[in-house]
Amino acid sequence: MRVLLHGAYRGFAGGARAVTLDAATLHEALEALVRAHPSLAERLRDEHGRLRAHLSLFVNEEDARFLGGEDAALADGDIVHVIPALSGG
Amino acid sequence: MAKQVVLLVGTKKGLYTVRSDAERKKWTVDGPHEAPAPIHHATYDPRDGSMYAAINSTWGGSRIQYSRDLGKTWQTSKNPAFPEGSDRTFFQTWHIEPGHVKTPNIVWAGTEPAALWKSEDRGETWQLNKALDDQPSRAKWVPGFGGMGLHSIAIDADDPKKMQVGISVGGVYTSTDGGATWAQDNAQTGGKEDRPDVFYCIHKLLAHPAVSGVRFMRVHVDVFWREPGETAWRNRTEGLPSNFGFAAAMHPRDRSVAYCIPLDDTKRTASPPGIGVYSTNDRGATWTRNDKGLPPGAALESVREGMDTDLLDPLGVYFGTANGDVWASRDEGKSWQPAVQYLPYVTSVHAATIDM
Repeated sequence: MRVLLHGAYRGFAGGARAVTLDAATLHEALEALVRAHPSLAERLRDEHGRLRAHLSLFVNEEDARFLGGEDAALADGDIVHVIPALSGG
Repeated sequence: MAKQVVLLVGTKKGLYTVRSDAERKKWTVDGPHEAPAPIHHATYDPRDGSMYAAINSTWGGSRIQYSRDLGKTWQTSKNPAFPEGSDRTFFQTWHIEPGHVKTPNIVWAGTEPAALWKSEDRGETWQLNKALDDQPSRAKWVPGFGGMGLHSIAIDADDPKKMQVGISVGGVYTSTDGGATWAQDNAQTGGKEDRPDVFYCIHKLLAHPAVSGVRFMRVHVDVFWREPGETAWRNRTEGLPSNFGFAAAMHPRDRSVAYCIPLDDTKRTASPPGIGVYSTNDRGATWTRNDKGLPPGAALESVREGMDTDLLDPLGVYFGTANGDVWASRDEGKSWQPAVQYLPYVTSVHAATIDM
């Protein structure tokens, strides 16, 4: 499966656009993503391990919140999108 | 080497650097860095040439960045982090203060939620000051209109162990042992009313950079001065058009001179008769209005980190406005010209004087 980084998250990962990795759940995918790009650790989660606000995670074309959040199951060929949520003004 | 003045201008949409030679007549603008992140504060460390910026971003969370090459490239610190089990989460940085020249690797930061952080590695990592955090009176701190933050870190000119912090809304705490212990420090003289200590909403507390023990403090209500050896804050509001405001600065050489921009306490913009910088040359005993060159009657606003001075002679004084302008004086605050206009809302101005 692949994780695609969008917008600001590419900058947080030194310009990386995509990471190919093995993961059975979204949580595992995020853990593997941080191992590949440690600079993302504090950009994805606060000091207590909570996912940050203004962060949208999609599995293929579905918002991960409707798939069980970080428990969302992943399969070969899935694409996880890490997206800065529309916010601000 | 020639002197250059570099203004680090934090805005609600990124960091700008505004540069001039020692004449301070023509300014060039670079930026924005990290737009659209709000930059609550940015500063220059004259000890090693580092720059620090409080990047208070929604995307990816707030973070502190540092630059070792005068802003060409920036690296991200490891975030300030409240300890496991804490009910608080680092939200944003309000102020970054380079340490004393005698403690070359130490940098301090104040954050929201209100807490003091110390870096011993030039801003790469940050440790919570537990002694301040453990103050029983912390339970009484409350947010001001802009949140509950620690924004002032005043380090004594001679002794790095003597320092004060200012909190909105939590008052002043003083340490004489480098932050190992703290004591509330809110006694005042000449005030109109007594208030419980923690309800002093400090807006800006400054230590004179050259004379030990001299302090200037802008509080939500009133301004105060302290002389060496004094243990109370002397009310010095008389002569100002209002008792409210944020922006404040001290003359880096003349220990009796300070500047502030009074605001109307209900409208939160410049007090009638419009924007003016008020200066004192007698430690706040009297105040003089300086508005030559400023737009007459303009209801401008300058916020907490909005004012600073360079180190040149005659002194340059600078302030930013919510309208996105930075005004510059190169005659010790007497007259003013725009250094740059039409930026986003200016949240902070820091003037670095650099040998280039």
